[in-house]
Amino acid sequence: MSQQFEFPKRSGTPPINFTPRTVYSIIGVLIVLWGLSGVYTVEPDEQAVVLRFGKVHSIVDPGLHYHLPSPMEVPLVRSVTQVYRDEIGFRTVDPGPPARYSKRAKESLMLTGDENIIDVEMVVQYRVTNVEKTLFSAEGLGVFERGSFGLVHDASEAALRQVIGRHTIDEALTEGKLEIQIEIKDKLQEIFDIYDCGLAVETVQLQTVSAPEQVDAAFKDVASAKEDRERLVNEARGYQNEVIPQARGEAQRILRAADAYQVERVRSAQGDADRFKQVYTEYRKAPKVTETRLYLETMERILPQMEKYIVENDGRGGLINVLNLGGKEGAK
Amino acid sequence: MKAPMVGIIAFVAALFVANLVLFTVNEVEQVVVTQFGEPVRVIREPGLYFKMPDPIQKTTRFERWLLDYDSTPEPIYTRDKKILMLDNYARWRIIDPLIFMRALRTKEQGLARLDDIIYSEVRKELGQHTLSEIVSENREALMHLVTERSDEAARSYGIEVVDVRIKRADLPPENESAVFNRMRAERAREAKTYRSEGEEQALTIRAETDLSASQIRAEAEEEAQRIRGAGDAEALQIYAEAYTGATAFYEFSRTLEAYEKALGEKTHIVLPADGDFFRLLKGK
Repeated sequence: MSQQFEFPKRSGTPPINFTPRTVYSIIGVLIVLWGLSGVYTVEPDEQAVVLRFGKVHSIVDPGLHYHLPSPMEVPLVRSVTQVYRDEIGFRTVDPGPPARYSKRAKESLMLTGDENIIDVEMVVQYRVTNVEKTLFSAEGLGVFERGSFGLVHDASEAALRQVIGRHTIDEALTEGKLEIQIEIKDKLQEIFDIYDCGLAVETVQLQTVSAPEQVDAAFKDVASAKEDRERLVNEARGYQNEVIPQARGEAQRILRAADAYQVERVRSAQGDADRFKQVYTEYRKAPKVTETRLYLETMERILPQMEKYIVENDGRGGLINVLNLGGKEGAK
Repeated sequence: MKAPMVGIIAFVAALFVANLVLFTVNEVEQVVVTQFGEPVRVIREPGLYFKMPDPIQKTTRFERWLLDYDSTPEPIYTRDKKILMLDNYARWRIIDPLIFMRALRTKEQGLARLDDIIYSEVRKELGQHTLSEIVSENREALMHLVTERSDEAARSYGIEVVDVRIKRADLPPENESAVFNRMRAERAREAKTYRSEGEEQALTIRAETDLSASQIRAEAEEEAQRIRGAGDAEALQIYAEAYTGATAFYEFSRTLEAYEKALGEKTHIVLPADGDFFRLLKGK
């Protein structure tokens, strides 16, 4: 480090040499910088409206571009391919996940055509079709201004309420929902067209359509009443399914019992008849003897059990002549 | 060293002059140029324009685009004596800046005047209609009429009213609770109807079931009697066939059989001593 810096002989910065050359070159650099400030890019989803002295000069598509430096030309770059979204009756607090919403009862409660009050939340999606018109046709449109609610919001609300006002609460709650969405969409487009603001409605979606919470229980009870009706009918059908087969079974039992009776009766008659015929065949070979034999055999079988009184048959009889042949209880 | 200074001074001076005599009108503006307070020119197209420097000619700018008007919700009375809280908005534009400037000067005053006009037109028109007409049937047509009338009235101020629209038409809170009560009652009635219908259908099904079951059983009983009858008839026929031609023997043998069955232990019988059975006993 033996080498020493050679300090300038005179301390302080050298005086600026205001030669015309220096001044012109400074001015020149400034002018070039000013000129270069006109370079800008338009992203793929954007378009730029270039204003020259406040008047629309051109509309510029995505790419690297140049505009005359301000204040001669000013480009307004806006996203145009994006689908914009407006919420009626609620706001997305946090897009999540999980998304969180907050309710706006003032917006969501409205009168139906049959003078009921209904709770409707809606999402409107729309696109910019003409960026020049969207920028300059109306004050406070609320498209490019983040988080503000302007004409688009007002018009959406007006369209929603007007259409709901034409329908009954039952239509809105049930089968009419799709039709209502289409009507709102058409109505909103009609309003946009009146203002000629270069917007196109993409979709209108009714998020929730429900009875207001003040009467929600009553509406839910209707649903459960419908279920009760189904349940009662199903129970009755269950009863039917149980009782009818039982009855049919019982009918079969009765019929089969009758069949059994018939068979028994016929068979037994047949048996009796056959037996009789056999006996009769034998009887015919010696009728007298058989008759006597049968008579005596029968008497043998039946007389021992009976109380017997034997009387003379000559007219002098009477109870005195009665003899006890049984011998069981002594004389009577 | 002199020349650049002169250049700079000349440049600044030029800017100063340009600023004095040049002015721009942007896309959403229109300008009235006044000379000593007297309007001399109305510019409705955007661009760069010349004028005399300030003390001589001045510019007054007005907006050219569609302007916003939002009323505060006001109660209106419908023809059927109901109250609606009406919140409407309008879109308007300054169509003749000269007239507008003379009559109202500023946008704020324009809004105040519009407020008067629209409020009174809305009140006048909607007061002639019932609530249900306003809410449901011809809101569109009514507001179209209000727009037209307001526009007519506003033209003399250089204002065009493009659209007056009902944003919200709600019942005041006092009436709301009455509506809620009615809704609850309606739904309760509906629920009751469903339940009663369920009971009705269930009872019908049960009754029909009982009837069918009885029918099935009764038909079976009927058929069973017929079957039994057929059995009886066939049995009779078999007996009759068997006994025909053997009447005497049948009577005899069947009588014996009947004795056997009919005469039991408790029977007391008186037998004549000279009957058949005792013939041998008596030695005859």
